[in-house]
Amino acid sequence: MTVTALASSVPFRRPRLIRAEVLKLRKRRGLVLTAGLLTVGAMLVTYTILVSIHAANPAHHGPAGGIQNLGHTIWLIGTLGSVVGILIGATAGAGDLGAGVFRELVVTGRSRAALFAARIPGGLTVLFAFVGIAYALTASGSVAFAGSLPAPSVKLLVESGLWVLLTTGFWFAIGLGISSIVGSRTTTIATLLPFQLAISPILANIKILGSGRAALPVIATDNLLPNAFGDTARTTSVNPTLSAAVALLVLAGWACAILAAGLWRTRTRDA
Amino acid sequence: MNANNPYVVETNALTKRFGARVAVDNVDLRIPAGSAFGYLGPNGAGKTTLIRMLLGLTSISSGSVQILGQPMPSGRAEALARVGAIVEEPRFHRHLTGRENLHIVAAAREREAHARVDGALDRVGLAKRADERVKAYSLGMRQRLGVARALLADPELLILDEPMNGLDPAGMEELRLMIRRLVGEGRTVVLSSHLLDEVEKTADAIAIVDQGHIVVQGSIDELTGRAATVIVATSDDLRAQALLTGHGAEPAEGGLRIPIADDNATAAINRLLVEAGLDVYRLEPERATLERRFLEITSRLGEAA
Repeated sequence: MTVTALASSVPFRRPRLIRAEVLKLRKRRGLVLTAGLLTVGAMLVTYTILVSIHAANPAHHGPAGGIQNLGHTIWLIGTLGSVVGILIGATAGAGDLGAGVFRELVVTGRSRAALFAARIPGGLTVLFAFVGIAYALTASGSVAFAGSLPAPSVKLLVESGLWVLLTTGFWFAIGLGISSIVGSRTTTIATLLPFQLAISPILANIKILGSGRAALPVIATDNLLPNAFGDTARTTSVNPTLSAAVALLVLAGWACAILAAGLWRTRTRDA
Repeated sequence: MNANNPYVVETNALTKRFGARVAVDNVDLRIPAGSAFGYLGPNGAGKTTLIRMLLGLTSISSGSVQILGQPMPSGRAEALARVGAIVEEPRFHRHLTGRENLHIVAAAREREAHARVDGALDRVGLAKRADERVKAYSLGMRQRLGVARALLADPELLILDEPMNGLDPAGMEELRLMIRRLVGEGRTVVLSSHLLDEVEKTADAIAIVDQGHIVVQGSIDELTGRAATVIVATSDDLRAQALLTGHGAEPAEGGLRIPIADDNATAAINRLLVEAGLDVYRLEPERATLERRFLEITSRLGEAA
């Protein structure tokens, strides 16, 4: 069963609008291919390399699994999964507008708020199908290839899994909100990817910004990483340090504010 | 819809401004139920803006709208549930098939809309190509798919903005017949167009809009007027003209043009010619075409401006 087929066959009955959102996303071949390569593909390549170099030279290269390697791959899934989250969010938010179909949906009489709201679970279903499989691969690999290294506990696997979903889901929400505001998938991706991949880590490491950096999502997500990974999964030096509650509030604040702005624009724009 | 209300669309002093420019100016429109209604005007006259206001796609600057007896925008959901529409060129998700595109819109309508997808595709002649991606469709096929999408609502009111665009003559004829069948089923079809000939062939009543306001509305017969002249062609037009001098006959292309007061006058002319031993090849009431009326109205407006 393919990842996209899995996304459309999860074992509960989704409302029709959400199923329609899933259909629109999973039928985009380019998006599905990119998402698959950046998540499932990236994990397969990573573990293939780690297992191969360990097999070739066990003295120099440790086992492919274990907690530390899980930390590295969690960082990779967090980063690439966030990219996929932005791509899917931007597509979900501006897909109808870009295709000119938004007005066709508005003339059905269905509320614009309902049309907007359906994009969130619809997009997350597709995103989490890819990210979930990628995480399942890395979690399994970290245990199966642990060898002489300590294998991650179930608690750590659950915590790191939740962290992956939270991080990628957050960037999906930001992509969805921004694209609903600006009405353009391309503009959203061109703005958010450099911010998430380059500008945000740079800002987080500029010490002169002090505690103002606490407002950066990357600081919040780094603070929420399980402590067992140490620095292996972090993007920044995690300064300032935030409590889990504050870090969650920072992420929720950003996501709610941008989604609310996206909803407002969806309700007020000329269709 | 309220059974006592003879109109499916009623607007009062409906106005839309874009800054200082008035796109729709105090429009009072009454569209009778169960008819094909033509909304005519030159490009830029405000036809599409008015349709967008009726459907809640853009805000109203002032005035009021009732659709199927429901005030807009408060009764929007209830009213639009029974309205199908094509606004400007029908647009689709090009990466999805025709059938999938219809299911996307059906998902926003009542549950029964999904069951109407196959019937709608069949009705517009796209059943065999429904599982091809829309990006492979011609403009005419997309136009027909747009009509199918509008039919998913099982609409009491169908609003078609320039529906003939992109259709070949056979496609136009098919659409014309489909519109008449829909009207025959008791539905109301509103056609917005600048193609006067097509509207005249299809519509029962029309409104002509120019520079944002309606300049005239009524039935086609009212607007084009009853025939005031007949064209007569006989086996000897010179002799016929001499016989009909008292009726004001004068030469015209294809015979003689004769003013008539009523149908009795037409019968009297025919009787006179036959009794005089002339063969009558043609005796045709000459009506003003919609095109002539349209040009008269719009040129008069142009002169007034």
